[in-house]
Amino acid sequence: MVARCLTALAGGYAAAAAAASLVARLLPVAPVEATVWGMILSFPLYAAVGLWAFHEHRLGRVATVVWGTALAAGTACWMLGTRA
Amino acid sequence: MTYPRRALRQSMAWIHGWLGLLAGWILFAMFLTGTASYFRPEITRWMQPELSGRNAPPARAAAAAARYLSAAGKDDVQWFVTLPDARSPVTHAYVQPKPDPAAAPRRRAPELLLDPVTGTPVTARDTRGGEHFYRFHFQLQLPVLWGRWLAGLCGLFMLAAIVSGVVTHKRIFADFFTLRWNKGQRSWLDAHNASAVLALPFHAMITWTGLMTLVLMYMPWPITANYANPTTFTEQAYDFGGEDAASGRPAPLADMGALVRDAERRFGGPAGRMVVRHPGDAAATVAVYRGAGRSINARGPSVTYSGVTGRVLSQTGTGGPALATAGVLLGLHVAQFADGPLRVVFFLMGLTGAAMVGTGLLLWTTARRRPGAAPFFGLKLVERLNIGAVAGLPVGMGAFLLSNRLIPAAAEGRAATEVSAMFWTWGAVALAQLALAPRRAWAATFRAGALVFAAVPVADALFTDRGLPGSLTHGDALFATFDLSMLAVAALLAFAAARAGRAPAPARRRARAAELAHA
Repeated sequence: MVARCLTALAGGYAAAAAAASLVARLLPVAPVEATVWGMILSFPLYAAVGLWAFHEHRLGRVATVVWGTALAAGTACWMLGTRA
Repeated sequence: MTYPRRALRQSMAWIHGWLGLLAGWILFAMFLTGTASYFRPEITRWMQPELSGRNAPPARAAAAAARYLSAAGKDDVQWFVTLPDARSPVTHAYVQPKPDPAAAPRRRAPELLLDPVTGTPVTARDTRGGEHFYRFHFQLQLPVLWGRWLAGLCGLFMLAAIVSGVVTHKRIFADFFTLRWNKGQRSWLDAHNASAVLALPFHAMITWTGLMTLVLMYMPWPITANYANPTTFTEQAYDFGGEDAASGRPAPLADMGALVRDAERRFGGPAGRMVVRHPGDAAATVAVYRGAGRSINARGPSVTYSGVTGRVLSQTGTGGPALATAGVLLGLHVAQFADGPLRVVFFLMGLTGAAMVGTGLLLWTTARRRPGAAPFFGLKLVERLNIGAVAGLPVGMGAFLLSNRLIPAAAEGRAATEVSAMFWTWGAVALAQLALAPRRAWAATFRAGALVFAAVPVADALFTDRGLPGSLTHGDALFATFDLSMLAVAALLAFAAARAGRAPAPARRRARAAELAHA
């Protein structure tokens, strides 16, 4: 249960932040606009990821998807570099 | 412990209960003080009865303020001036003086209240006013960063609780019309559903937009992904440019009234505030921002002028679709576009939010109480915290307002004393209720709240010359409405006390199974 809560709270934040950042980096509009779209999107995304972490009963799957999303999107952002 | 496999509705009902329980007390306080903040300027005006309310158009107030500030400080770094409007007929000025290495560092520049007509400082009793409830609703009286992160976490819990609550719901439309009084747990569930469903779009909006107000702090990572230097983003998004150094050559400041009038022509609406950098220097700049008008978008346009020649240096609009969306989200939260009846509607919706959280907390205890069985420790703890938060906070808020009239106007450090009055009172009633059995504790705490709120207009009439009979006959609408609202709150709390003190009707066994399945 501790691992699940940690994954939902910290992992959910990391996954939402990384995914929102990737969207912000990739959206083909002005960087300032794309950044704000990413921010607007981030909170509903975080809430959805957090809730799903308490619905899916296999902890392994929860951890893989949540931390995996965070790691993959985070790495992609890092490799793409900044736009401005 | 293995985590059970459940249908979506069951897992969402389970997490909904935990989210609500963990964040409920703080969320209740955030909802109640945030709702009071819809009337932030009005509360501040009531708490400074010395101010006459004499007003002037923004351009005239700007010119008057600049005249006074120029004479008072020749080499200030900048002035932040909030211009008067109909709701707040006083000019606020924060002055950032030239750094003096010899002087002790100050935490923040003092705020000056200036007369809109003459520009000279007005004296009123020192108070945090409506600002106190406003700050508390997202900083929770903690060190700023801790308070904001905790408020953000509770906001996120609220967002998740709303989503899971909607999924849990089987009959969202029917519950809109369902409220069965005096049926114990069934009634609390109905009340929770009715208050939640009735204003569901409002609750979802206020929670999401609340998180968005501090998005730069909570979620700065999209900026990091796009910008090597985050200040580039803030400059592009919010036009925080123009950080030019002073030239060192003195030059007289242009006519502020003319600049503000020019900006208002460009906005098509009144100016709300201005920032004057390096006043009295040849490199002075004046940025004028649009006031809270009819636009929902809180990100108003701005114009920056040379402070000497009056030439337009730069202009910002409302940005692209994303910036406009963010501005509208922020605007919906602070609701400065709403005046008159619409503001009252927002206030009532905010109250349904507090009611939704409060009834949810109550439901947690009523759903777990078994007839005849001794309550377990957790149940007793939650019940006492419920009384302390739901019934106790209003007592503290009333004490804050009451102390404003009881503490002498000239007392040293009185603004901080008022704030202490709220928290000491709240803490005291939260402890005192432990001496009574739960049902009597609910009733007694609500009754204390009713007494404190009923005492507010009495103290107002005794210690100021703007008390209720006079304000009604003289047409002093703000003071009359405020005092009458205090009596309405007192009546509401007295009603709650009467209801809470009554023994509940015995629950019918047959209904229980259905209730529990639904909860």
